[in-house]
Amino acid sequence: MSQQDAIRRRKRIKYFLIHAVLLATAALFVYPLLRIFSVSLRPGDKLFSTDLSLIPAGATFIAYASLLRDTMFLRWLWNSLLITLATSFIGVSLASTAAYAFSRFRFPGKKAGLILLLSSQMIPAGMLILPLFLMIMKLKLMNTYLGMIIAYSVSSLPFSIWILKGYYDTIPRSLEEAALVDGTSQVGAFWRIILPLSTPALSIAFLFNFTTAWNEYLVARVVLFSAKQYTWTLGLFELQGQYITQWGMFAAGSMLVTIPVLCVFLYSSKWLISGLTLGSVKG
Amino acid sequence: MEIIRSILEVTGFIVLIAAGVAALVGYLYTHFKYYDRGWFAWVALGVYPLLALAALGAAGLHPHSALRSLFFASVIIYAFFRYVVKGRHTVPYLLLAPAFVGLALLLVYPFVFEVYLSFHDLKLTTIMMWKNTGSIPFVWFEQYVKVFTTSPLSEVSFWALLGRTLLWTFSNVFFHVAGGFALALLLNNAIRFKGFYRTLLVIPWAMPQVVAVLAMRGEFHSQNGFVNIVLTKLAAAFPFLASLGVGPVQWLSDYPLLTCTIINVWLGIPFMMVVILGGLQSISSSYYDAADIDGASYFQKLRFITLPLIKPVLMPAVTLGTVWTFNNINVIYLVTGQAGGTEQADILVSALYKAAFTYNRYSYSAAFAIVVFALLFFISVTYLHGFDAAKEER
Repeated sequence: MSQQDAIRRRKRIKYFLIHAVLLATAALFVYPLLRIFSVSLRPGDKLFSTDLSLIPAGATFIAYASLLRDTMFLRWLWNSLLITLATSFIGVSLASTAAYAFSRFRFPGKKAGLILLLSSQMIPAGMLILPLFLMIMKLKLMNTYLGMIIAYSVSSLPFSIWILKGYYDTIPRSLEEAALVDGTSQVGAFWRIILPLSTPALSIAFLFNFTTAWNEYLVARVVLFSAKQYTWTLGLFELQGQYITQWGMFAAGSMLVTIPVLCVFLYSSKWLISGLTLGSVKG
Repeated sequence: MEIIRSILEVTGFIVLIAAGVAALVGYLYTHFKYYDRGWFAWVALGVYPLLALAALGAAGLHPHSALRSLFFASVIIYAFFRYVVKGRHTVPYLLLAPAFVGLALLLVYPFVFEVYLSFHDLKLTTIMMWKNTGSIPFVWFEQYVKVFTTSPLSEVSFWALLGRTLLWTFSNVFFHVAGGFALALLLNNAIRFKGFYRTLLVIPWAMPQVVAVLAMRGEFHSQNGFVNIVLTKLAAAFPFLASLGVGPVQWLSDYPLLTCTIINVWLGIPFMMVVILGGLQSISSSYYDAADIDGASYFQKLRFITLPLIKPVLMPAVTLGTVWTFNNINVIYLVTGQAGGTEQADILVSALYKAAFTYNRYSYSAAFAIVVFALLFFISVTYLHGFDAAKEER
């Protein structure tokens, strides 16, 4: 009896410790987000206080109001949205057909193509910014949406092809064969059967393209130079400039951008992670 | 009004792309259909480049050397269909063509262009000449020599950057894996609120990176940052700590690399945690039951069951993580990139970005990029080779 009690007590201590460590780490991980929230609620005269409480004394939404009124924040969001939607649309359309070719056909150059896709992930991202920047300059597309869309459109293409190929591979061939027997063409079978069936994978690829372009900063920094054309990443960076930090507005903008992204990510993370590991494990 | 104009602009562009894709597929389709007719060679080599040139002209572009490159492209495509494909594999090639052309124009061509740049001299003083005439001085290996002899920024040398990059990569990946592994082990117990903890712990990864890094940068601010506020309060509350030197620190100017590392560790742990947790959950509990019967200790189970069984999940994640960390410009640029920023935290890739866009040394940066790429390529090949060898052994 007493031995059982000892075991139970030891178990209880163990679980208590696990919860304590997890809670402490979780608090540490979430704290920066909570602090942005708290800063965004501060009244203007207390922005630089060293107060650490979560809901500051005299909390107001004044920073949000002045962000929307005095800066071009909504315009920046709109620019980001247009650029991102266009790139994701182009990227997913190109990837969906290419992945189908890789998944269902044998043709000369297939293996080389797949290796090329994988090894393109090895190219340092920062390396291609310079030639892309010069190309965009030469095409006179600096400071335009089109320049940004061109620069972004293929950056997630290899990855999207890879996820979609993995998903197509799981769809049984007999479905298409039945359709072919019934008289559709190969392309018709792809359009009417494979695409509708792979909506989950297509939406994950879309989401991946979307988040990559939505959060991109380095290309935008060099292609866009007038505040009217900024994406929100540039806008926020500007608000947090070295010497004149618009701390409250920066925090308010961050909250407005982060909350939807966080919701989408938490909702979709399961599939995103399986796609990530699928792509790398199968290599 | 402006909103409508911007929508029209972007939609028009997408329609243009769609038209381009349709034209491309139609062009290739005729190749599949008529590749062996005698008259087709003349159409493919003569008419198509002219049609394409007319289309480019109509789109308002003035291609200087477009005719030559279009002609070469036609020759290659024609020969490919005439002698290699011979009318087979129509569907896969047509399906692949748009993505292939996109990658060729926006991934392969820029890469080749970068190599071209690295043998020429494009900088602030020659860029106007290049814009107007399209030619720049050819300098052989001068840029490559400069990469190793002069600083990409104002004083730090290539070798210092290389050492810093290796230090940065190893310390980050080490802490990512160690932290992620520890958290995954804790989460893998039968505890309550597991989903809740998991959700909270992935938040750094889920936040937009720009927001996360800029917010953390604010927390390291010398007066208003959380870290220094806590340090000040600690020093005030416990005088003996203050006498040991605990107190506010100028994080961003005195220890920029350490600051960046802390921020990046915070950002990177959740990914590793999620991947490792997935691996842990797929291990069947019967292994542990058998080990319990044999009387194995906790660490023996960890060493001889858990580690070998999550290796297939861990290795690709570590490889990816290493490449990502090596190439991470974002964190370092966002923390140190503003006017008056320091160069003491720069690693190779962020230095090449700054050399190009802060110092406008384009060709130098191109040569630098090629060197970094060769280095990364070499490391990955040796690494993958070792990985394969380890696989063979099992």
